[in-house]
Amino acid sequence: MTATRLPRGPGADAEDLYPPDSWGRRTGSGRARVLWGFGLLVAGLVAGRVWLAPAIDWPALQTWATVFVAICVQALPFLVFGVALSAAITAFVPASFWARALPKNPAAAVPVAGVAGAVLPGCECASVPVAGGLMARGVAPAAALTFLLAAPAINPIVLVATAVAFPGQPMMVLARFAASLTVAVLAGWVWARFGRARWLRVPSRHGAETGWEAFRQAMLHDLLHAGGFLVVGGLAAATLNVVVPRAWLDTVAGVPWLAVLVLALLAVILSICSEADAFVAASLASFSPTAKLAFLVVGPMVDLKLIALQVGTFGRAFALRFVPLTFCLAVAVAVLTGWALL
Amino acid sequence: MGPAVSRTSQNLLVTLLGGAVLWVSLFTTSYLNYVKPGFRWFLVAAGVVLVVLGVVGILRDRAGHAPRVAWLLTLPVFAILLIAPPPLGSDAASRSAPRPAVPVTAYKPLNTGLTAMSVGEFVGRAWDGKGSLTGRQVALTGFVVPGRKGAWYVARMQMNCCAADAFALKVLVRGVKAPPRDTWVEVTGTWIPPKTGGLPKGTVPPELAATTLRRLTKPDETYE
Repeated sequence: MTATRLPRGPGADAEDLYPPDSWGRRTGSGRARVLWGFGLLVAGLVAGRVWLAPAIDWPALQTWATVFVAICVQALPFLVFGVALSAAITAFVPASFWARALPKNPAAAVPVAGVAGAVLPGCECASVPVAGGLMARGVAPAAALTFLLAAPAINPIVLVATAVAFPGQPMMVLARFAASLTVAVLAGWVWARFGRARWLRVPSRHGAETGWEAFRQAMLHDLLHAGGFLVVGGLAAATLNVVVPRAWLDTVAGVPWLAVLVLALLAVILSICSEADAFVAASLASFSPTAKLAFLVVGPMVDLKLIALQVGTFGRAFALRFVPLTFCLAVAVAVLTGWALL
Repeated sequence: MGPAVSRTSQNLLVTLLGGAVLWVSLFTTSYLNYVKPGFRWFLVAAGVVLVVLGVVGILRDRAGHAPRVAWLLTLPVFAILLIAPPPLGSDAASRSAPRPAVPVTAYKPLNTGLTAMSVGEFVGRAWDGKGSLTGRQVALTGFVVPGRKGAWYVARMQMNCCAADAFALKVLVRGVKAPPRDTWVEVTGTWIPPKTGGLPKGTVPPELAATTLRRLTKPDETYE
C-alpha cells in the first residue's frame, strides 16, 4: 500500500482547538470541584425544566429549537453507531486485514471501497467516523473517502426508501444508485491522483493500541470530536430551515439549469438524513426529475452537518478542497445521469 | 483553575448527553416531538451506550484532552431541558409552503356516513381528480393555523424521518369561527370542490364547509 499511514500535517488548525495543556493536569480537589459543578448544573437544568421552559412562549424560537433538537436527536444514534463501528475497526480488526481485503493500488481500491459502501446501513453521520477509523487503520485515504461518499447514498435502506417515495419510477432508484456510486469513485480517483497528504489530518490513535480500553478511548475521542461539529451543523441547518422561505422555490422550478442548482443547494442547506431525503424530493412536485436527482445525489455527500463533521474529523484544509470537489462532481454527474436515464 | 477539568468533564459531558437522550426517549414521550415513534428504541440504545461510556470513563479517568468544540454538545441538552421544544405547530405550518400529499396509489371507496380521515388523506383525495369526496361527511383532526382575513386552516405536520423534514398539510375551513391558534380541534363537514380548474394542482389547500367543531386536548403523537 503506497499511503498506509500519512504523516500528520502541520495541524495548526487542529491544535488551536485544544485547551491549554494545564487543563489536563489532575488533582483530587479539582476533580471533586468538577463533580460538584456537574451536580449543580444538573440541578439547574431540572429547575429550568420545571420553571423556565413552561414560561417560554415565543413560536419562532420554539420552531427553531424543535428543528435543532430534531436534527441532533435524529443524528445522534447514527453517530454513536458509526463511532462504535469505527472504534471497533481500530481496536479489534488488525491492520493486516485491510491490506488483504483491499487491492494494494489505491486506484484499484477505490471502486472496491465504493461498492463496499452498499453494506453499511446508516446515514451520513455514521460514515464519517467509520472512514476516519479506516484511515487510522492504514486504508488508503482515497479508498476511505470513496466509502464515506458511497455508504450513505447507496445502502439498501436508502434505496428502498427511494423506491417507496417514487412509486412506479424504478429509474429514479437506478439513477440514484448509478450517479452516487459514480461520484464516489470519481472523487476517490481525483483524490488518489491530486490529493496531498498534508491536506488531510488522519485521525490518530493514542494510548492502548487494541482491546476494550482502546475501543473505549477511540469511541470517546471520536464522539467528542464529531459530536461537537454535528451540533454546529445542526445549528446552521435549523437556522436556515426556519429562515429561508420555501415559497420562492416554485418560482425557480421552471428554469431547468437554475432548478438543478437550487435543489442541489437546498440539499446542502436542509441537511436531511439520506434515509428521508427521497420523501422530501418527491414532494417537490414542480421540479424536473433531473433536479430531484441532483437533490438526492448531493444531499448524502455534501450538507451542512456533514461539512462540519468533516472539518472536525479531517481538518479544515481537507474540507475546503473536498467539499467543493464533491459538490461539483455530484451536480455534473446528476445532470448527465438525469439526461441519460430520466 | 480547574486542573483535571479536561478528562473528567469529557466523561461527565457524555453522561449528561446520554441522560438527556434517555430523558427524551425512555422517561418521557417527548421524542415524539422530534422523530418517528419507531425510532424510540434506537434512541434508548444510544442513550444507554453514552451513559455507560461516560460512567466507565469517570471511574477509570485518565489524562487526555478533547477539542473545545466538544462543549457544544451541551447545547442540545440545554435546548431539550430549558426550552422543551414542543412539536411543530402553527408557526411552522405557516412557514411551510403548501405541498401535495405524499403520493398514495389508491384510496378505498368511502362509506356514506361520517368518515374520520387524516388531513393527508383528505388533501390527497381532494386533488387526485377522482372526486371521491363529493358529498361525503368527513371529520378532520388537527391544530388551528390562522389565515388571512379571518380564514383559518385545520393542519397537521407530516414527517418522514425527523421534524427537520416535516411539512404542513392544510385544509381551509369555512363556516365556523376560528378558534385560537394551535388549538387542537375536530371539524366535521364536506369538501368544497374548487370553482375554477385553473389553480395548479396540489399547491392550494383544499376547502371544507364545516358544520361542527369540537375542541380536543393535544395528542402525544401530533405528526401524521
